[in-house]
Amino acid sequence: MITIEDLSVNFGRTEAVRHVSLEIPDGQILGVVGESGSGKSVTALTLMGLVSEEATVTSGRILYDDVVLQEAGKPRDKALYRRYQGDCMSMVFQEPMTSLNPTQRVGRQVEEMLRLHSMPAYSRESVPGTGPTAQGEACFPDHSTEAAREGGLRFCRSKQERQAMKQLVLETFAAVGLREPERVYGCYPHQLSGGMRQRVMIAMAIILHPRLIVADEPTTALDVTVQNQIMDLLREINGKRHNAILFITHDLNLAKRICHRIAVMKDGRVVETGTPEEIFERPKEEYTRNLIEAVPSRMKPRGRSGWEGSIPCPEPVVSVKGLQVYYREGGNSLFSQRKKNQVVRDAEFEIRKGEILGLVGESGCGKTSLSKAILGMNRDIAGEIVHYSTRPQMIFQDPYSSLNPSKTVGWLLEEPLRARGKLEPDKAMSAADMRAAAMEMLGTVGLTEAYYDRRPFQLSGGQRQRISIGQALITRPGLVIADEPVSALDVTIQAQIMELMRRLQEELQLSYLFISHDINVIYQMSDRIMVMKEGKILEIGETEEVFAHPREAYTKQLLRES
Amino acid sequence: MKKRSGIKWNKYLIAGLCMTGLVVFLALLGVFWTPYSTTSMSASQRFAAPSLQHLFGTDNFGRDIFSRVMKGIGATIWISTLVVALSGGVGILVGALTGYFGGIVDEVVMRFTDAINGFPSILLALVVISVLGTGQRNLVISLGIVFMPSFIRIVRSEFIRLRDADYISRARLMGVGRGRILFIHILPNIFSTFWVSVMIGFNNAILAESGMSYLGIGVQPPQASLGKMLSDAQGYLTTAPWYALAPGLTIVWIVLGFSLLSEGIQRLGK
Repeated sequence: MITIEDLSVNFGRTEAVRHVSLEIPDGQILGVVGESGSGKSVTALTLMGLVSEEATVTSGRILYDDVVLQEAGKPRDKALYRRYQGDCMSMVFQEPMTSLNPTQRVGRQVEEMLRLHSMPAYSRESVPGTGPTAQGEACFPDHSTEAAREGGLRFCRSKQERQAMKQLVLETFAAVGLREPERVYGCYPHQLSGGMRQRVMIAMAIILHPRLIVADEPTTALDVTVQNQIMDLLREINGKRHNAILFITHDLNLAKRICHRIAVMKDGRVVETGTPEEIFERPKEEYTRNLIEAVPSRMKPRGRSGWEGSIPCPEPVVSVKGLQVYYREGGNSLFSQRKKNQVVRDAEFEIRKGEILGLVGESGCGKTSLSKAILGMNRDIAGEIVHYSTRPQMIFQDPYSSLNPSKTVGWLLEEPLRARGKLEPDKAMSAADMRAAAMEMLGTVGLTEAYYDRRPFQLSGGQRQRISIGQALITRPGLVIADEPVSALDVTIQAQIMELMRRLQEELQLSYLFISHDINVIYQMSDRIMVMKEGKILEIGETEEVFAHPREAYTKQLLRES
Repeated sequence: MKKRSGIKWNKYLIAGLCMTGLVVFLALLGVFWTPYSTTSMSASQRFAAPSLQHLFGTDNFGRDIFSRVMKGIGATIWISTLVVALSGGVGILVGALTGYFGGIVDEVVMRFTDAINGFPSILLALVVISVLGTGQRNLVISLGIVFMPSFIRIVRSEFIRLRDADYISRARLMGVGRGRILFIHILPNIFSTFWVSVMIGFNNAILAESGMSYLGIGVQPPQASLGKMLSDAQGYLTTAPWYALAPGLTIVWIVLGFSLLSEGIQRLGK
């Protein structure tokens, strides 16, 4: 149905997409997998006619059936595109918060699809999801005759028509698995959870029965359990309605689960295409193999670290007893009432010397609050925290906000030493010694000395995370808390950073509290794991033990779903 | 790997630099040399139209307007610089402390700045002047007080934005002292925002100084001042329009120049 032939897209002088050829047959799910910057999103946006004006198509063309949507050397035909967008192809974006208008009720926003495009003919006699889904009927590229467009933008409609539209929206809401469609219809986006917003986005995408849905990382911003529901929904829609789906993701495992075919992209090129079995069992390209290996998985033997091989070392670096953490809502202005919420209840555990304790749980379960309490960054606590090491450090998730942008890498690495020198004068170092220590640390985290004078904005995400790690470790703290340190990184980079963290842990005999929402990452990293839900620690035990014999239902669910 | 790029010149920056460069050059030159004395009067030369001898013509006392404009620019820029330095300096200090620490002091300071903002700025400056008396120093103080709230607010909001940034949390974990976090870790990151507000504040200071001198409570005669020249020229608008045009257009030129400059600096970051 859709044919992309030899497509190249340039932004100024940079080539974002190079000679990409893809085919999306009717009713199939094509997965495009690649790391950030591989050109997968640009390809999709170009297909949808949504790519920014600065981009130019330098070679190839895009065909919808036999109609040329876009061709090299010709300007984008906006009128032509308007007929296809929405009616024949629609898009689901990654960020469900920013892709819905926060000032309008979601029901109206979905209804707008119907108001701008004329009502699909099938809806008048049948219910979506069960109605005729023969592709010829579902797609009306000839809609936009003058009359139809006028009809589409007409403001006054008969009561019947409005009723019919609302009915269709409610039915579509039900079809995408939103319970209480009436209530959702009248909600504003901020009243819905991330998963519900994404369902609304999907409802918006399918309500006109387009033959193609482009889903650009639709589940990346969501929690694992929600992610699974959305994936199931996409598969269900594909099964019931036979829409083709172009599924864009950085996660090979996700693509494997729902796609009929997978294309792997790197640096703007398609390096390999094939069925999921072909890609996973007989990868032809080196890069595909790397990508598969980089994905953390329970199938692979886990790297052993420190204490298990040597003598068990029960000495704790920090022990937590009966910890309650509170979070005050409401501004810090003079008269506003403050609401006190408890985010962590009765936490009790210890982190032993030289071990990696993994902490897993969904967003909002109190992982970060717990770690901040341990570090003394949140003083609204009750209970007991005993530290046996000095100045534990933290590594944050977002590599872009954890380095001071106005400083050089060398300065950043030396600053912990300077701060320590101030606090403990006997450990003060000369400028030359600090420089030497910084240079050594650059080597330790796998960078060269040339980085000493660079600034954070000149570094990639992975390099920044390496500097963050170096900054945390340069004073040799006993305990490091890593809050989702690899979640913002591409898979291959993720594997490198995990490898680096484990190597340093062994070399320097560190203890980590390693926080992640991804149970596979936790499996790869941790000696013991701790499962958290709604502020409570449900389970804590040896990694193998917990994975083999989970005690709690929630742990079982987590294990099943990833 | 990206190389650190040099300054990307844009048209705003070039135009702004040229315009302000000329102004600053004239002001500096005026400190040491002017074509004519700014105070020597000549009855025979009253209201001479602009010519090669008197570039901007002469005024009601036969003084060379171009020379007086040069001196006037100097006085205006000097006073405005002092005003911005005073209010900006206090703004950084107070804004940083209130923004970073918050709490009751922040609340009190903010209500105080609200109170200052509640008065029309010229009126407030008038009150201060009438308490302190006229003179260049008191003019700077009064305008400084008027301009403080905006700087405090800008610095404060930037500090609030950055005080919970991950890299500041990490600095705290490292054991970096409070003063060092405030002025070494956070302050350099707000300079781009602060610099723009300094430029805008500078422009406003120029206008305010001219306004005060126009009202006769700024720079005192016989010292030359653009605002005072404008008010003197009022009576001769029809007979000697150049007398009013010269200082008026000069003020427009300065303000436009600095606006372009700040716009250009803002665009540098993008």
